[in-house]
Amino acid sequence: MSLELKDIRDFLAAHHPFDLLPDDDLDQIPARLTARYFRKGSVILQPDITCLHLHIVRTGAVETQSPDGQLLARLSEGECFGVRAMFRGGKAANRITAIEDTLVYQLPESDFHDLAGKHPQFAYFFELMGGARLRGGMQMAEERDEDQLKLMSLQVSDLIARDVVSLPKTATVREAGQHMSKERVSCLLLTDDGGEIAGIITDRDLRNRVVALGLDYTTPVANIMTRNPISITPDAYAFDALLTMTRHNIRHLPVVAAGADTPVGVITTTNLLMRQSLSAVYMAGEISKMDTAEDMAGVIAQIPELLRQLIDAGATSQNAGHIVTTLADTVTSRLLELGEKKFGPPPVPYVWLAGGSQGRQEQTAISDQDNCLMLDDSYDAGRHGDYFRDLADFVCDGLNTAGYVYCPGEMMAKTDKWRQTAATWHQYFTNWIQSPEPKALMLCSVWFDLRPIYGKASLYEQLHRQIVTMASGNRIFLAFMVGNAQSHQVPLGFFRNFVMIRGGEHDRTLDMKHSGVVPIVDIARIHALGNGIAAVNTSNRLQAAIHTSSISAQGARDLMDAYEFISITRLKHQVAQIRAGERPDNFLRPESLSAFERSHLKDAFNVIKTLQTALESSFGKSGT
Amino acid sequence: MGLHEKILDSQVYRRWNRKRATGPLAQFYDIAPVASDRHISDIEFVALDLETTGLNPKNNEIISVGWVLIRNRGVDFSSAQHFLVRPTKDVTESSAVIHGILDSHVADAPDIETVLRQLLPVLAGRVLLAHHAPIELGFLGRACKKLYGASLQLPTVDTLVLALRDIHRQGIPFKSGALKLQNLRKLHNLPPYRAHNALTDAMATAELFLAQINKRDPKGELELDRVLR
Repeated sequence: MSLELKDIRDFLAAHHPFDLLPDDDLDQIPARLTARYFRKGSVILQPDITCLHLHIVRTGAVETQSPDGQLLARLSEGECFGVRAMFRGGKAANRITAIEDTLVYQLPESDFHDLAGKHPQFAYFFELMGGARLRGGMQMAEERDEDQLKLMSLQVSDLIARDVVSLPKTATVREAGQHMSKERVSCLLLTDDGGEIAGIITDRDLRNRVVALGLDYTTPVANIMTRNPISITPDAYAFDALLTMTRHNIRHLPVVAAGADTPVGVITTTNLLMRQSLSAVYMAGEISKMDTAEDMAGVIAQIPELLRQLIDAGATSQNAGHIVTTLADTVTSRLLELGEKKFGPPPVPYVWLAGGSQGRQEQTAISDQDNCLMLDDSYDAGRHGDYFRDLADFVCDGLNTAGYVYCPGEMMAKTDKWRQTAATWHQYFTNWIQSPEPKALMLCSVWFDLRPIYGKASLYEQLHRQIVTMASGNRIFLAFMVGNAQSHQVPLGFFRNFVMIRGGEHDRTLDMKHSGVVPIVDIARIHALGNGIAAVNTSNRLQAAIHTSSISAQGARDLMDAYEFISITRLKHQVAQIRAGERPDNFLRPESLSAFERSHLKDAFNVIKTLQTALESSFGKSGT
Repeated sequence: MGLHEKILDSQVYRRWNRKRATGPLAQFYDIAPVASDRHISDIEFVALDLETTGLNPKNNEIISVGWVLIRNRGVDFSSAQHFLVRPTKDVTESSAVIHGILDSHVADAPDIETVLRQLLPVLAGRVLLAHHAPIELGFLGRACKKLYGASLQLPTVDTLVLALRDIHRQGIPFKSGALKLQNLRKLHNLPPYRAHNALTDAMATAELFLAQINKRDPKGELELDRVLR
């Protein structure tokens, strides 16, 4: 390098990923560059422009937009673009515009590939730009954990060891036994004429129901089989399968194609036991047998430890949230069972609903309770009021004792206002949606994430369909929700520096909940409500939103990745506190992260910021 | 453009110079100059800057030369060249203060002839770009005359002149120092170069030129004679 290009070299050296290159290679780069200037508003790349260069922003800023005009990213000094175009033979996928007067350095494709070939860390950064890079970052972070907790990421379909073994239900007991013997299986599925599952028999059934009773071997197997067995779909998590089996005390669980009822296989407890420790399942099992909230508190107190194990074993935040929430669901259900035992059977049908993070199945080490009670319209306040007040008090107090402290906003079934008939709830939602008020909406957002826990779920499901339809058609309501969603600021300055909390107990930290998790939850909720999506889990909502027009597929995937990354970072922070014997909280010090993690965290915040802004173009904005 | 520059840039003067030129300068004149009706985006420019021992070509000497090419509206850093030049006389203290080049630095440097042998083929068939070009043209012309019997004439674009025209067009008064390279760059959101030498100034000039023409000519259809000095 001629010494005179040192300014350019120093500039590169100060920016990721060029900082990863050894000096000798860094020295070579400046002389390979071309500087180009783009006036504010001019297009740098668009789908009909061929680009065989890596672009590096020297000064100014650029904006990336998808072909449908969706804002995808804003890049400033030191950031790169045009990578995907290079990988697509020079065809740009998106439109990149200078939003300030911008000086750009271009590195020719051949030099880029030389560097990438020599330096994997450099290649890594670029091969997976943007959201994909984040995805890669998570994989890399996960691979560091030696022990993968397979149960949480495995789906039932992964556990099916062999093709389904079945016979028509018209077969005799002898034929069934012979077939099982030949196929070396301990259970056999029986199908009816249409190939749908009709029943199951096991080794034990042959012993107990045939041999012990001295039945003739020509007896039709249909006479002794267990009819309409409990089953699971291939896309369920292995964890759910295990939970189902322990709850019903069965060892064989048929897997049936979703919606079709045709069997595709069987999983057995041995399949699962081989794979996993069962602590969460045991905890749930314990809770189901307990008679007092005090006893349950002993189990719930172990959640931080459980969370530590899960995270150490490589669980995703989605898995961890699911498992931890299952315990809250179990406590709730058990308390309701106990309540019904204490106060007698319910005079009218009801459903107990969880809201907030329990509703979304996203609980962490620290969760308070958000719940409500929905009563059948035959409810009569005069005759049934006391019963449900007592029941709600019993459950809410029990939850509080068990460790799920009272909701500070009193969003609980214990509060009269949140213990109402389906018709009243319908009226509540109609008011919120049709005459929205920003303040009221912010408070009641937990009610848009409801999930039935116990009781007559159909009471809610009917209402839920109405809510979703009503919300998706109401632009004013959605615009208010957008206003609320944007009130949670992402802690990122324009030049991608973290903006931290200043002063007070949490000086110089990032609030991972309110400025990371909550904004994404809010964005996902709006896309769900705006598109009539019934899901309440944030990842599921975003997954469903991929196919809608309110968010680009890439945007939705990037947000899912950002959500997972921020959530897992938050959980790891809590686990570190648990390990240190501290109370887990949401306040993270950026310096506790590696440079690598910090960079990904910034990527993640950037994705949120972009998609938060994009909400306006999809739904408008109003309110705060 | 004054009468003096008109004469200096005229075809007559070029023919006159070409007839007298010897050595590398003769070869330079053998290549036709860039036609002034060509689009800027099709032309290659040589952004060039000199450091000298003073401002007067008659008494002062070149002590460093830096240049870089502009192609396809991009500054091609691979073409960047920087030479220190050994002067015939000692470097005076007053000039050393400005450019920071001392006798000891240039003791082993090539003389101006060696550098011109490199530079003239680069300039042939291209357009010269400088910030306040009379200095570059004056010193290079003087050196050529001395070594090769004729002055240097080629199409020239002066970023300072372009900036001045901009200011006149807008009809606004300008502060002293407004036409300085560094200040003009700031106006266009260009980064400062920390180092100060002939090459960084040449690069800085090249980038400034890109900014200036981008503002006037977003589609790349501007013809050369619209920006010539």
